[in-house]
Amino acid sequence: MTVSLRLVPPVARVSGKGQRWAEARTGGLLALPAAVYFLVFWLVPFVVAVYLSFTSYDLAGTPEWTGLDNYRRMLGDPGFWNSARVTAAYTVGSVVPSIVLGLAIAVPLSKPGRYNAFLRGLVMIPAAMPLVATSMVWSVIFAEKGLANALIGLVGAAPKPWLTDEGLALWALVIMTTWKHLGLFVIILTAGLQGLPLSVFEAAELDGAGPVRIFYRITLPLLRRTLLFVLVIAVVGAMQSFVPAFLLTKGGPAGATEVLPLYLWATGFGFERMGYASAIAMVLLVAMLLLSLVQFRVLRGGEEG
Amino acid sequence: MKVVRGTLLTLVVAVLLLPVYAMFAVSSASDATDLGGFAFDVSQLGEHVSQLFNQGDFPVYLRNSLILALGIGVLEVIFSSAAGYALAQLRFPGSGVLFALIVGTLSLSPIVVLVPMYLIVKELGWINSYQGMIVPFMMSAFGVFLVRQFALAIPHELLLSARVDGASEFRIFVRIAAPLLRPALLTLFLLQFLAQWDNLLWPLIVANDPGLWPLPVGLAQIQTEYDFSIGLVSTAALITAVPPLVLMFLLQRYYVAGLTLGGVRK
Repeated sequence: MTVSLRLVPPVARVSGKGQRWAEARTGGLLALPAAVYFLVFWLVPFVVAVYLSFTSYDLAGTPEWTGLDNYRRMLGDPGFWNSARVTAAYTVGSVVPSIVLGLAIAVPLSKPGRYNAFLRGLVMIPAAMPLVATSMVWSVIFAEKGLANALIGLVGAAPKPWLTDEGLALWALVIMTTWKHLGLFVIILTAGLQGLPLSVFEAAELDGAGPVRIFYRITLPLLRRTLLFVLVIAVVGAMQSFVPAFLLTKGGPAGATEVLPLYLWATGFGFERMGYASAIAMVLLVAMLLLSLVQFRVLRGGEEG
Repeated sequence: MKVVRGTLLTLVVAVLLLPVYAMFAVSSASDATDLGGFAFDVSQLGEHVSQLFNQGDFPVYLRNSLILALGIGVLEVIFSSAAGYALAQLRFPGSGVLFALIVGTLSLSPIVVLVPMYLIVKELGWINSYQGMIVPFMMSAFGVFLVRQFALAIPHELLLSARVDGASEFRIFVRIAAPLLRPALLTLFLLQFLAQWDNLLWPLIVANDPGLWPLPVGLAQIQTEYDFSIGLVSTAALITAVPPLVLMFLLQRYYVAGLTLGGVRK
C-alpha cells in the first residue's frame, strides 16, 4: 500500500480531481466578497445610472421614463454649458502647467546624488497633503491679507480679491491645483526618467549632442509612456475634481467656478433631480473615456508595442 | 553647472514648500496678525491645538477619520489580496467573468455612479452609519488588479510543493502567498488610507449626523463657523495633514511604487 503510493509521481497526485475541487472551492471563496462587492457597488449602480438618465426621478416617487428628455434639456441648459466650459478651462489650465513644470523639475531632479534624493523627498510633501487641508491653506493664502497679495505686493501690485472676482476665482483654483499636482507628477516623471537606459544618453553625449537636443530627441520620445500615463490621470483627475471648488468658492462667484462635478452634486443632492444628475454623470463619463482614448491614440501613435 | 543646477532646484523646491510653511505661520497667528506674514509663534500654535482638542467636535472628526481610513485600508488589503490571488493562481468557475467585471469598473469613478450608489446605501438602511461610509469603498478595482499583477509573479512550483506537502489551499494563501505579496499590500494600504483620509464627497452625502463626520466634512463645516478664527481653522488643517505625511515618509518606497505603477516601462 505505502509502496504503491510512493510510486505515484507527486505532480499527478496534486493535479488530481480532489485537488481541482479544493482549488475551485478556495478560489471561489476568496473571490466571492469581491464578486458581490463589484456587482452591488459598481455594476448595478452603473446600470442604474444609465437607466436613471432616461427618467425623471426626485427621490420621493418612482422613476418615470422620459426617454431622451434629460439629454435634450441639457443641450438648452445654460447652467450645464457654463459648468462644461468651467471644467474645460480648469482642466486645460491646470494640466498643461503642471506637466510642463513637472517635467522641467523632474529632468534635473532625477539625476543621482544624495542631495537630489533629499529634494525628491521634500517635493512629495504637497502630493501627500490631503486635498481638504490644502484647500483650507490656499483659502487663507488667497484671503485679502493673505500670502498671495503679500507676494504681488512685493512687485508693487495692488491686492486682488482672488476668490470673489469672477475673472480671477477659477485661476486661483488652477494655481492651487497645479501646485498640488506638481509634486505628484514630479515623482512619477522622476521614476520614469530613472528607468530610462543610461547607455543611450551616454552614446548621445559621445556623439556631441547638447542637452537641449538630447531632451527633445531622446528623453521625450523614450518617456512617452510615462507622459501618457501622467496626462491621462491629470485630465481625468481634473475633470472629476470636486473638493477645491467646493471648499474655496462653493462654485461662485456667479457660477464662475461651478465645475461639472459640483453642478452634478448640486443637481442630484441639492435639488434632488436624480434623473438629470445621472444624465450629467453619463456625459461626464463619455467625455472622460473619449478624451483618454484620444490621448492614447495621439501619444501611442507609431510606437511599436 | 552642477552648482547652478543645485541652487536652482533648491530654490524651486523652497517655493513649492512656501504654502506648507504658510500653513504653519497662519496656524500660529492670532487674529490681529497679518496673514501674509512669516512670523511663527509656537506657543500660539500650541494654544490652538489644545483649544481644538478640548472644545468642539474636532476630536470626534479625528476619531471618525481614523475609523474610516484604517477600516477601509485594512478591508481593502484583506479582500483585494484574496481576490487578486485567486484570480492569478487558482482555477475556479466564473474567474473570467469576475476579471472582466473588475477591469470594466476600472474606468468608472465615484462621481459617475454617485446617485445610484447613494440609492443602494439608502435601500440598505445605511444612511448615517459607519458601514454606509465604509462598505461602498472597502475594495477597489485598482487594488485587485495590483495584487493580481504581483500574484502572477509567484512561482507556481512554490505553491505546488506546498500542495504536495499537504497544505490546504487556504493555508497556502495565508502562509505563503500573503507574505510574498507584502510590498503590494503595503502600497495598497497606504494609497487607500490617503484616499479615504481625504474623502469629502461621499461622507458629505451619506452622513448628516455631525457625530459621524470625518475630518474633511468637519473641516468644511468648521470653515463656515464664525466663532472659529482663521488661525484655528488652519491649525485643524495642519493636524489633518500630519497622519498622511508621517505615513508617506515611513512608507516612501511603497508610495512611489504605487504612484508609478503603469506609468513606467516594465
